Order: sequence, then C-alpha cells, then structure tokens
Amino acid sequence: MRVLSAWHQYAFVIRQLTARELKRKYARSSLGILWSILNPLLSMAVLSLIFLNMFRRSIENYPIYYLTGYLVWQTFTLATTSAMTALPDNKPLLLKVRFPMDIFLLARVYTAGVNLVYSLIAYAVMLIVFGISFKWTMLLAPVYLFLLFCFSLGMSYLLAVACVFFGDVRHLYTVLLTLWMYCSALFYPVSQLSEFMQTVVRMNPIYAYISSLRGAVLDGTLPSGLVWLQMLCFGILTLLLGRTVFKFYRKKIVEFL
Amino acid sequence: MPSAKHPEILLRDVTMRFRRTKDTPTSLKEWMVSLLNPKLRKQAESFLALDSISFRIDPGEIVGIIGTNGSGKSTLLKIISGVLPPSSGVVFADRRKIELLTLGTGFDLELTGRENVYLNGALIGFTKRGLDRKYDSIVSFAELSDFMDEKVRNYSSGMVSRLAFSIATSKSTPRILILDEVLSVGDRFFREKSERRIREMIQSGSTVLIVSHSTQVIRSLCTRVLWIERGKLRADGDPDTVCRAYETMGKV
Repeated sequence: MRVLSAWHQYAFVIRQLTARELKRKYARSSLGILWSILNPLLSMAVLSLIFLNMFRRSIENYPIYYLTGYLVWQTFTLATTSAMTALPDNKPLLLKVRFPMDIFLLARVYTAGVNLVYSLIAYAVMLIVFGISFKWTMLLAPVYLFLLFCFSLGMSYLLAVACVFFGDVRHLYTVLLTLWMYCSALFYPVSQLSEFMQTVVRMNPIYAYISSLRGAVLDGTLPSGLVWLQMLCFGILTLLLGRTVFKFYRKKIVEFL
Repeated sequence: MPSAKHPEILLRDVTMRFRRTKDTPTSLKEWMVSLLNPKLRKQAESFLALDSISFRIDPGEIVGIIGTNGSGKSTLLKIISGVLPPSSGVVFADRRKIELLTLGTGFDLELTGRENVYLNGALIGFTKRGLDRKYDSIVSFAELSDFMDEKVRNYSSGMVSRLAFSIATSKSTPRILILDEVLSVGDRFFREKSERRIREMIQSGSTVLIVSHSTQVIRSLCTRVLWIERGKLRADGDPDTVCRAYETMGKV
C-alpha cells in the first residue's frame, strides 16, 4: 500500500515536471502550447517538400520514408540529450527533495514521449496527405515505440551518470550523434550501401526501430524474428543495464554534483 | 521527562565528505592524463562538511541549530531528513515522520502562481488531491488571490516568498518538523503572521529543528541549541548560554 502511494506521488511529480518543461518551452510565444503540434507539423511539411524530389526512383513514398525515420530519431535524441543533463540542471532541487534522483531523468524522457505523441498527430496528417492507406500492422507501432522508449531511457541513465563524472561527455555525445545519424539510414536506402556498411546499419539499435516502423506503415510487413530480438534486447537490456549502473553510482553522484 | 529509551533522532559519528570539484577530473582528457600519471591522481582531496557529529534529540524538544554560513547546517539537515546519505556514521530517525520545510523548492519564474503551487507542492510531497483541497487556503494566506494567473516572473521577491511559505506550511503537521531558514520572510506584517503559524505548528506537539541566523528567533522558540562550526559540534546546551557564546565569537 505504501509502495503504491509512493509511486502515485512520483507519477504526480513527473507529470508536474513534464508540464513545466512543456510550458516553459513556448512560454514567451503567443500561441503557447499549440506550438507543440504546430512545430512538428510545419517541419514535417517543409521536409516533405524538400525530399519530394529526391531519391524518387529508388524509394517509394520518399517523404514518408524519411519522416518515419525522423520521428524515431528525433524522439531518441531529444530524450537522451535532455535527460543527460537532467541531474546537473536540477542540482539545487535534487539536494532538497526526498525522491529518488531518477525522477528528474524520467521526467525529461517522459517529456520527449509526450512530444512524440504530438509529433504522431502531425505524422498522421502527413500519412493522410500522402494517401497512405491503413494497414493492420500499424497497430503494432505503439509496441515498437514503447521499446524505443525503453532503449532511450536506458541510454539516458548511462549518459546521465557519465555526464556527472565527465562534463564533456555532452559535447562528445553530440558529435557521436551525427555519426550515429548517418548510420541510421534516415534519408537513404540501405541497399545503396556497401556490404560492410549494410551490416553496420543493421547492427544499429535505432535502425531496428526505424525499419520496423517503416515496414508497418509503408509495406504492411512485420519485422523478422531477428529484428524482433534486436528490438527487445536493445530495449530491455539497455534499460536494465542503465538502471543498475545508475543505482551503483547513486551515492557517488550526490557527492560529485 | 522524555523517555530514555526512544530518542526521536540519534546521530552517531556522522561524517560527510564532499569532493572539491577543482581537484577531480571533470573532462575525459584530464581523466586520461591522470590515468597515465598517478601523481596527479592522488591529488583529489576531500572536504569535510561534517566531522563525526553525534547527538540525540528526544520527543518534544525544540532544537535550534546555529552556525556561520557554510558551517554544515544545511548538510546536517539533509542527512537527518534522508535526502543525503552520510559518508560514514549512523542516523536513527523515522524518515516517514520527518518533514523538511524549505521555501520555494523548484519555483519556476516562467510559470504562473497557480502552476507553481502545483509544481512546488508536488515536489515537497503534496498529493494532487491534497493540493486541490488546500489550494484556496494557500492562496488566501499568501494574500495573492488576484495574482495567481500571473507569471511569477512579475512578482516581487516578497510575494514569491509569501507564496512559498504558505505552500510549505500548509501540510498537516508532522511528528518531526525541520525548518530551514523559513522564518523572516516578507514584510513585518507577514512575518508576524508566519511566526504565529510556526508557533501553532510547534505547539501541536511535534519535535522541531530550527535553523536560523537570527539568535533572537532561536532564543524565543527553542528549548535547546546546537552550534555547528566548520563541520564540528562546537556547543550543545540551553539557548541563552550557546547563543551568547555564538554572539561573542562574532565580535572577536
């Protein structure tokens, strides 16, 4: 009972912290929170216009091909980069409240999740505009996105710990992200790569989520058994590893901050 | 007489060590350099915020804690309330009964007064339902009914602390109450009102720990005073004696 009410309280705190992040982002604009939907919608419209005329021969429905990858990539980078600095950003708070420290991290990742929901609305509009018909495989999208969420959370734990001890991890990570992005086949077909690079891309956790979602939306196909295994392992194992590492360094983090 | 068997709070040899940030490698480059050169690695020196502090507090005591800035008072409170785990030593205290009152935890200038009540309330342990129920009385005590939909950015500093005080003291009185510099906010009238509220909380029978710079406040409220100086317990006794010793040190 006590555990249950504690979790209830944590959930309330996370919602409040998330509300703060969302409200703050557009605090000084007249449209306010409406930007949360407008922003992804407009950027998706612009991107589709740009990519409408590229790679047309090799990829069908190229704008949607790109936007699907973009959605996954944006969510992952937003979650990890914001959660990475959650501890130093909230330092004064952290030493005052009695909640587990990871609440601040969770709130940042959860904020990215809420942003994903807004982006999904924009994405749905794009699907309709480009005449993508409904496929039952689309119903599995929440499962893929949930596993992506687990993977992002796990990575956030690891990055947050690293960031406390080595402040320059955050700069290194942005460089790494650029490299990672080019290995995620966001805007080119994998088949155009050399065999070696194809293997690299297929080993990439993010690509597993992207390709599954593309299959579900564009072709109505399910991921292969291997890709399912990848998504599950990357999602759940990373989360477990992240949490374990975080717990292990908990006391040290407090001293270092 | 407080029972000899069951202290409310018991500290035994509590030590808190913080690392001095300038001595630790905060970049990967420095860390790698320190790996190659062990001489540099040993330099990491630590800073003793608390140096084996021991004392006990019995139920019903009202204990003031004084000491100059940076002497370790706030660290001590955080350890007692369980926010910080001590580097070594033992703390006996039932953490569920302890309430650490601090002002304006997580106040955000870009949010409205109302949003801050909920954010701050959530952070200091209010439930959603509890906040819904107490909301009106929080606002009226702070005398800010007309400003709640205004961003806190536009408040005066007095208004901010009035709101913060009102939220912090609206929770039901706990068994062990810890007040960290919450007295002396707002103008004279609000200060009197807030001292009345604190007195009510004290009189409802809980054990109270008060940190304050004002020996006047400590003298008028406490039954016992602890003086912490540079992480060490310098004196422990009745308010008059300890406060006087503290004041004479300030003059030298």
